[in-house]
Amino acid sequence: MNVIDLRKTIKKNSKRILIALSAVIVLAMVWEIFGAPNAIIQPINYNHKLHIEKAKLTCVDCHLFVETMAAATIPNIEVCSDCHSGEPLSKSPEEVKLLKYIESGKRIPWKKIYSVPAHVYFSHRRHVTIGEIKCIQCHGNVQELTEPASHPLWLATMKNCIKCHKENKVTYDCLACHH
Amino acid sequence: MPKWAMAIDLDKCTGCGDCMAACKLENNVAIVDAEQAADDRVMLWMDMMTIYEGEYPNIKLKRIPKPCFHCDNPPCIKVCPVHATYKNEEGLVAQIYNRCIGCRYCMAACPYTAKVFNWYEPEWADEFKTCMNPDVSLRMKGVVEKCSFCAHRLQKVKENARADDREISDGEYSPACADSCPAEAIFFGDLENKESKVFKLSNSPRAFRELEDLGTIPKVFYLSEKE
Ligand code: HEC
Ligand code: HEC
Ligand code: HEC
Ligand code: HEC
Ligand code: HEC
Repeated sequence: MNVIDLRKTIKKNSKRILIALSAVIVLAMVWEIFGAPNAIIQPINYNHKLHIEKAKLTCVDCHLFVETMAAATIPNIEVCSDCHSGEPLSKSPEEVKLLKYIESGKRIPWKKIYSVPAHVYFSHRRHVTIGEIKCIQCHGNVQELTEPASHPLWLATMKNCIKCHKENKVTYDCLACHH
Repeated sequence: MPKWAMAIDLDKCTGCGDCMAACKLENNVAIVDAEQAADDRVMLWMDMMTIYEGEYPNIKLKRIPKPCFHCDNPPCIKVCPVHATYKNEEGLVAQIYNRCIGCRYCMAACPYTAKVFNWYEPEWADEFKTCMNPDVSLRMKGVVEKCSFCAHRLQKVKENARADDREISDGEYSPACADSCPAEAIFFGDLENKESKVFKLSNSPRAFRELEDLGTIPKVFYLSEKE
């Protein structure tokens, strides 16, 4: 097929090509908007609501350093085994999984839902203890979660950090956050 | 608003280089191999100016520690096309690595050659990986970096002061080089605080600054009886 033929073919089918292209673009947009990004699946279907209401725990009982350090930390077997050891407390298969980790001394490979890159300094102590900001502002209503969040309910983007800093007249000097 | 500054007492300094080593460890500054070093690509935030005086065989060696001077009128920030290097309210000259596009204009503009460029993707021996300072991010190939006056330490000091609802005390914020100096020749503090050690030293008759006539107004003061 030479160039002139090709041009003719395109001209003849221009409508069809246009429709096909539009369809691809629309599909891509639909995918962007409605297509679920990779959902985070935790190794154990941990239930926040149950532990806060039934076991009467507060956030800092498990997220041990949330008030005193930069990183809140996610509790592992040494914290869970305070209550979960030997006889199961429930009939849940999820607890069986937990007891297996505890018996074998293996760490539960929790995935982090919220994170900032290494070049950003974020301190829970600064925000929670000094700034007196409630967890709910950044993490949503965790005490109502009956299973682990599959997506962050708030994105730790620079835009979101600075939005709140502006509202609260806190510095947004680059050097405060970036090291 | 504080204005952070350093004073280095050359009459006390022995030129031992402890500050250089402490700085490299504190800030995860990359170690280049011998071949790269031969190309003059050694990475140092705290450098050592070496001056030879006299004629062989009666040579006298002078070693002068040289961090970034955090100039009050920094030439480097004026040439940065992307605002990756700038002076903040407290007088710190910042370098935001993720913002840096690696054009190196700032390096050319700095009369003190305080900045270094990452020519290579930094590589770390396994033994080193376990002793990285988590408070300082690793830089990538293609960006400029320099002494930050250990600004990550300031962030922690501020946090502690806020927690106790008090001002930062003199000497509380101190970079790694000053902390490590065995001769106690490096002082650090707030120039706006008339009670601070650094303010007093900066007004000493022994005090001078490098290439003062350029008008860069460095915030690193040298102290020396000679010169
Ligand atoms: C019994 C211990 C326990 C208590 C009490 C607890 N948590 Fe958790 N939390 C966990 C565990 C285990 C995970 C990891 C699994 C998951 O994401 O649900 C977690 C995850 C989280 C995460 C997601 C962190 C991430 O980036 O992956 C947030 C946010 C959180 N908890 C907030 C809270 C808040 C707020 C409270 C108090 C209202 C609280 N937690 C109380 C054990 C606990
Ligand atoms: C203070 C004691 C306590 C601690 C600490 C504790 N739990 Fe529990 N947990 C309980 C109790 C009580 C139940 C049973 C509640 C019920 O069903 O009545 C339970 C139930 C469970 C169950 C099964 C119930 C369900 O529906 O999911 C899982 C899974 C579980 N816990 C995981 C964990 C994990 C993971 C940790 C550590 C991060 C942990 N727990 C720490 C007290 C505790
Ligand atoms: C101002 C926003 C903000 C508030 C308020 C906040 N967090 Fe976070 N949280 C974050 C960010 C940002 C991260 C990611 C931090 C990182 O990667 O270092 C995070 C991470 C976490 C994690 C994951 C584990 C870790 O150490 O990184 C847990 C658990 C957590 N937060 C719990 C809490 C609890 C509990 C509270 C309330 C007492 C709370 N957070 C309040 C922003 C917030
Ligand atoms: C919901 C509001 C809110 C959000 C969201 C928030 N911050 Fe903050 N931040 C504050 C407040 C309020 C303070 C001041 C606390 C104090 O000292 O009283 C603060 C202080 C800070 C400081 C210390 C500033 C200084 O003066 O040196 C840093 C650093 C910081 N935040 C980083 C972050 C980062 C990084 C994020 C995003 C991941 C973030 N913040 C998101 C409210 C917020
Ligand atoms: C309140 C905290 C905060 C301040 C102030 C802040 N940043 Fe950020 N910055 C973040 C966080 C959190 C991220 C990571 C999340 C994201 O990419 O949005 C980030 C990401 C970035 C990135 C993207 C890095 C990448 O690899 O994509 C650049 C570039 C950047 N910041 C530059 C700056 C500059 C320049 C300033 C000053 C004008 C600044 N930041 C001020 C919190 C902050």
